[in-house]
This record gives sequence, C-alpha cells and structure tokens, in this order.
Amino acid sequence: MREIKPRSPLAFLLIGIAVLYAVILFIAPLVAIIYGAFKDGIDPIIETLTDPSVLHAFEVSLVLALGAVLINTIFGLVTAWVLVRQKFRGRGIFNTLIDIPFVFSPVIAGYAMIVLFGRGGWLAPPIFPIVFALPGILLAKTFVSLPFVAREVQPVLDSISPEPEDAAYTIGASRWATFRRVILPELWTALLYGIVLTFARAVGEFGAVSVVGGNIEGYTETATSFVFRALNDRNSTGAYVVSLILCLVSVLILFLMNLLRRRMVVSRG
Amino acid sequence: MSIEVLHVNKSFDTTPIVRDVSVKIETGELFVLLGASGSGKSTLLRLIAGLIELDSGTILLNDRDVTHLSPQQRGTGFVFQNYSLFRHMTVAQNIEFGLSIRKVKRLEREQRVNELLELIELQGYGNRYPAQLSGGQQQRVALARALAYQPNVLLLDEPFGALDVKIRVQLRQNLRAIQQRLGLTAILVTHDQEEAFDIADRIGIIDQGELLEVGAPDQLYRNPTHRFTATFLGTANLLDARRNGTNVYWGDVKIPAPANTEQFSGKPVEVLARPEEVALSCTRERAPGSIIGQGIVDSIAFAGPVLRVTVCLLSHDRKNLQVLLAPSDVRDQNIEVGQEVWVSLKEYHLLATNAE
Amino acid sequence: MAEQSPAYGLFKVGDSPAGYSRAPSLGAWGLRLMAISYLTILIVIPLVVIHVQGLRFGLDTFWQSISRPEAVSALTLSLTTSLMMAAINTVMGTLTAYVLVHYKFPGKALFNTLVDLPFAIPTVVIGVMLVLLYGPQTIVGKFLQQEFNIRILFDTPGIVIALLLVGYPFVIRTVQPLLLQLDSNQTDVAQTMGASSWTTFRRVIFPTIRPAVVTGALLSFARSLGEFGSIIVVAGNIPMRSQTATVYVYTQVEAGNMQAASSISIVLLLIAFIATIGIDLLNWRRHARN
Repeated sequence: MREIKPRSPLAFLLIGIAVLYAVILFIAPLVAIIYGAFKDGIDPIIETLTDPSVLHAFEVSLVLALGAVLINTIFGLVTAWVLVRQKFRGRGIFNTLIDIPFVFSPVIAGYAMIVLFGRGGWLAPPIFPIVFALPGILLAKTFVSLPFVAREVQPVLDSISPEPEDAAYTIGASRWATFRRVILPELWTALLYGIVLTFARAVGEFGAVSVVGGNIEGYTETATSFVFRALNDRNSTGAYVVSLILCLVSVLILFLMNLLRRRMVVSRG
Repeated sequence: MSIEVLHVNKSFDTTPIVRDVSVKIETGELFVLLGASGSGKSTLLRLIAGLIELDSGTILLNDRDVTHLSPQQRGTGFVFQNYSLFRHMTVAQNIEFGLSIRKVKRLEREQRVNELLELIELQGYGNRYPAQLSGGQQQRVALARALAYQPNVLLLDEPFGALDVKIRVQLRQNLRAIQQRLGLTAILVTHDQEEAFDIADRIGIIDQGELLEVGAPDQLYRNPTHRFTATFLGTANLLDARRNGTNVYWGDVKIPAPANTEQFSGKPVEVLARPEEVALSCTRERAPGSIIGQGIVDSIAFAGPVLRVTVCLLSHDRKNLQVLLAPSDVRDQNIEVGQEVWVSLKEYHLLATNAE
Repeated sequence: MAEQSPAYGLFKVGDSPAGYSRAPSLGAWGLRLMAISYLTILIVIPLVVIHVQGLRFGLDTFWQSISRPEAVSALTLSLTTSLMMAAINTVMGTLTAYVLVHYKFPGKALFNTLVDLPFAIPTVVIGVMLVLLYGPQTIVGKFLQQEFNIRILFDTPGIVIALLLVGYPFVIRTVQPLLLQLDSNQTDVAQTMGASSWTTFRRVIFPTIRPAVVTGALLSFARSLGEFGSIIVVAGNIPMRSQTATVYVYTQVEAGNMQAASSISIVLLLIAFIATIGIDLLNWRRHARN
C-alpha cells in the first residue's frame, strides 16, 4: 500500500485516534513512572541503587537472561535448521510446539518445573537444587523466551536459495565452512533480532521466575520480583526506581529492535 | 467521450515528472502514450484517472472539467500491468464490483457479467479465483472489470507488459477489436513501439515528462519532427547536413530537398533515412534515388524475411548506416562483406537540429 | 514469505517449509537429536506433567476442582477480560496499522518504534506504571473515582487496561506487513470504479488482511489468558473479584494445592491450544490459497 500525506478530515481523525490511543495506553503510564521515581528527590534513588539486594537482583536478572539467550540461540538455531532442512515424521508437531511457550502461562510453566524438579519431584536432581535456586530461574527464563530465535531464523533459512550453498560445496567447502561463511552471513540480522527478543522476554519475566525461584531476597530474587516485593513492603520508591531502570533497558531493546528491523527491510529489498 | 489535457504539470518532491502536457483525444479514439520507463507516461495516466493530484493544469472528460474531482467521480476504467484483480473475489465478483458499488440490481449484474465473460471469451470461468487463471486470462478479466460499469474512458497502463510475446500480440488485437466494437475512447501506455504501431489511432511520444509530438503511427515513423521520435521509433540513419536553395548538402554530396521543407532553408538539418529507405548497388548506374557516395559492406545478418546490412561510408568520418535488403537484392547486386558499393537514398526526410 | 509473518515471528511458519533435504548424515542425526531433546525437555515434558498431575485422581476430581466457585470466577474473569481486550485491540490495532502504513505524519517513525514498547517492558513494570497512573492517590485515579465512581485498580477495569497494554503490539505487528505488501493498484482500481474509502477498505483491503487480523486477535487473546505480572500488581489477588485464572493458579501453587493448580492450568492450556490451532489453520489456508 502506498504512503500518502493525509488530506481528508477522515485521515486526520484516524491518525488522531491511533496516536491518542497509544498516548493514553502507554505514554501516560510511562510519564507516570518517571514522575513516580523522581517525586521524592534523588536520595531515595541513590539509596535504592546502592542497596546490595537490588544490585544482586539486577545481577541475577541480567546473568540468567544472558544464559537463557545463550541456550536459546544455540538450540534455536539448531532447531530452525532441523525443521527447515530435514524431513522426518512429527516435524509438523515439533514445529507447532515452538510457539507453545508464548501461549503457555508462565505461572503454569513455573509450576510444571516445581512438579518436575521440586522436592520429591519426578526428576529432582540429587546433587544440586533446581527449584528455589538459580538453575530453576535459568530454566524458567529459557522456557518463556524459547520461540524467538527459532522463529526469526526459520523463514530466512527457508528463503535462502540452495544455489550459493551448492556452489560452496562444488568449490570444496566443508559443511561447517559452508554454514559459517555462506549461510550464517545471511542469517545474522534475523538471528540478532531473535536474540534481542529473547533477551527482552527473558529479562522481564516475572511469573515463572517467582514461582520457580521463590523470590528469596539476595539469592533468587530478580529485578522484576524485587519490584513486586518492594510494592508489597510499601517501599514504593524502590519499586518505582527499579521499574524505571527496567523501562530504560526496554527502551534500549526497542532501539535495537528498530535498528535490526530496518536492516532486515533493507536486506530483503 | 473525449479526453482533454491542458497544460498539466506534476512534480514529485522537486523533480518534474510531467511538464506542460496538452493533448486532446477524440471520442472513439485509441491513443497510445509511448515512452521509455520513467518518461512520466504512467503518471500522466494516473493524473487523468485522478489517482494523483496535479500541480497545475486542467483535465476535461467529455468537456466536463474533472480536474478537482476524486477518482470515484471521474468514471474512468483503469487496467494495470499486474492485473490487480482482487484475489479474494471470484472472476464474476471482480467483474461486478463496479456494478455493485453503483447498486445495480443482482439480475442485471449477472446478465452484464455474462455478457462481459462472452466478450472476453471466458464463459464458464465466473466462479474461478484469479490464482486459477493464466496471466493472459487475468488481464482479460481486468479489462472486463474495467468495462463492466461502462466507464467514460478506458485507461490502460502497460496492460500487456507482463505477458508472453505471443499472448501479448493476440490480446492487443482482442483489445483493439473490443475498443472499436464498443466505440470506446481509450489511452494505452506502453514502451513497446511495435504494440503502439499495431493498435494505435494516434501515438503520443513522451520523453522526460514532455509530450514531444502526436501523430498517426506511419506519419511519426516516416516524418517525425523530433530527433527523439526518429530514434525511439525504429532504427534511424541520421546524417548532418544543411539545406540551401532547393538542395540539401553535406561534404561534396548534394541531394534535392524534400517537398515542404522550406522552413529549414539555410539551416543545419539532419537527414533521416530509415534502413529500408537506403539502397546499395554494385554500380553507380543501377543505384536508385539520390546517391550519397560509396561505402564498404561491414556485415550482413540474417533477420528473417530480410537481411540487415551494415555499410561503412567512405566519406563522412566513415559513418555506419543500417540497411534492410531483400535477399533477392543482395543476390542481384552481389553484395558481400568487404565489397565496395554505391549507397543511395530512395526516400529521406529532414529534421531540425537543435544543436548550437 | 517472511514479510507475511505475524508479530515477533510467532506462528509464522505454519507447515510451509518444503524442506529440501540432503541425505541424512551422522551430523544431521546429531542436530535432529539436539532439536528434539530441546523441545521435548522444555515443552513436551512440562505439558505432560501438568496433564498427568491434573488428571491423576480421575475426571471427577478434575471436574470438582474446576467447578469450585473461586475457580469458575477466576476462569470467567480471565476469559471476559481477555475477550474485551481482544475486541478493543483488534479494532484499534487494525486502525493503527492502517494509519502507520498509509499516512505520512510527523513523528511516525518514533510511533512505529514505540509500538513494541509494551512487548519490551516487563509486565510487572507495566503493572507499576498503571498503579502510578490510576492509583487512588493519583490525579487520574482520584478524578475517575470522584467524578464517575470508577475504580480502576483491584477491579476489572484495571485488568482490562493492563491486558490492553500487554496485547497492544500483536494485531498491529501482524497486520502491518500484509498492508505493506498490499498492491496499491488494487485500491487505485477500486477507486476508479467508484468505491469510496470505506468501501475500498471493507471490500478490498479488509478481506486481504482478515487472516492477519484474526491471527493477531487470537495471539493477543492467548497471550492475555496467561498474563500474570501486570495483573497481580494492578488487580491484586482478591478471590471472586479480581483473581484471574493465572493468579488463582499462582495462589494454589503457593498454598501447595497442586490438584487445583493443575486443573485450572489444563483448562487454560486447552483454550490456548484451541487458539493456536485456529492460528495454524488460518496460516495453512492462506498458504493453500497462494
């Protein structure tokens, strides 16, 4: 569809409605949170940001989100590859399964992990604990952010024509060299986009993480669970400040998403 | 239903796309706008349909000023190169779309759809979806869709551009027949000169947004006034010369000036000779028309019913001329590559040079 | 086509990849094993666990658990709020996508970027934002309470607003690529035939984007059913009033009541599953037609 300059009153009305809806829905709350974080001056902010349990919560969020990104990048790539390039029975089912974490309530996912790995659970590991411990959180974050790398890479992989790959083989490149030097360069943008989405989802997760991790202060508490606890403890400024920082992270993510989307549009011509 | 375009201008950003175009297309005429891609011909068509607003100028449809009317109010029929059928509608639904907009009763719509399916020779295809049709069939449906509501004028934007050569030729003859039968006023945009020659009543040559000249196909081919027209329509041999008295001169060559070229008197001109207007002869005596000198045959290529010969003039900076010869001529005159021949012009025309 | 894909790559592939394949080598088998174990461990096993856990005492117990008043109330609340969200966001999302694709206006690029904001912000933070805007002590909250006697927080309106935010990008991001792809000649031709803007939208544009609109709606609906973080902050956890199904599950898990948690989970998963099947069917039909 062609982009036009709005001329009719109807056009301006439509633009007005769309913008107004966005402003009421999420720009106003965004302003509110900035106001909320700064309304008691700068001291509570510094206090919050030097609180060791806050710093620890951020560390847990960040490190485990990166862990989830790492796992989902490697396995997501492999899964996308297998689903696009290999034919086997049940491929369709596995293909559908990838979307499940998105519609699966994270609370339920967390709960399933408790049943599986909790005390007396079906697969409770004897050596180190998973539930109410960091591995459980990693698992929860990995689960909720699972679809994105695979789903971004899959269509690109599917659209790559076989000729360059065949050409690389005839030139004598090994399968791995061909993947790394012929296929991967085509996938980069989509892969990065998937990674950004994965990170966004993993770092922001709350439900699954709080069910599996149990929100133990200074141990399994993540940034998002800190916000929740701080609200309940009437430490509202702490909640607002950490929320605002998470918002800033989101804006950074948004910026990256936008950048990568532009690159995708360019490379797809 | 005539179409009149008066001093129309259109720029995108600051680039002028259509420059001061004026033309009148008479009722029942099939007018072809011919130009290279990017010449502004499609823009002009969209301006007439009202799909783009013009910067200045006037557009009259049947003597009614429609310049500031929306496309809905102009009542044109438009056919695009890529068919642009509604993919979610059947062939019949596509064709009756314009009728249903006009709240035509169902029975009448059905009848009209059947008439049109017959007209485009696709009876029995009403319930198919566009995806189930070939390109040529889709374009016929697009034509029927544009005709269904009996538009004032028919506008066709490269309608055959996406089709195979064979289907293209067939379809344009169908279009011509339908247009003549219904007495439609139509503008067709194309970059294909053969297509233009084949169906046009008149052709308008458009280049860089300017409508250079308008005329019947043979007139534009034989006697163009612009160098662009001469080179764009077919192959042109052009020789720089000067018209003086009753003759045209260049170097030591002197040939009689064609009739009705007095306006070029005393001015530098270009002599235009089409490849089929040039003759090659083995002796001076046998050369028909006006002799312009000797040349050496450079190449002879087979081109179906004729042979395409390139000859290199001995004078005139060894200029190459393109010549079309019948195989019998080549045989009779013993024309071979490397041979010296006499070059003469059976017919020629003068063009003003806009040099200096 | 990659461009036809719904938001964030979800549900984009259907079963389309024709998958030209080379003879499976040892490496290929290894990769396949990796992929299958990954999906099995993270997705299949948890799914199985929930179902076994919920159904192990038989269907009667399952039925009892989901027919408790708190459970029914929680499920009803989740469904109604999610449906309201889907209805509003389908209309507003389609409108926003249309505006973003069709019109030039200042700040459009920024607007287009900000559409993803609700996706990028942690849902708990979304909850905090809404508390700060609509809470009883805030200007907006006070105003609404005094003038209209509307309570946003700890009640249904708060849940719907939270879900509207969470579900905001989906319809937009699913519809946008299809609108971008739409051949503008089709709308032009409709106009020359006399169709008004509204007729053109209704009869030419909408039928083309309808599968995407429905996909986006189902996607946001399924996503809302599972939403937890923003709801627990905005609506709290008041049984029979502001307790949605996921909050109910959370409460039951905390209380160690695994049977109740599993039963409701199964119902939620079933609904999500039906929505997923719906999306897959739509994509499949679209592929079939093209």
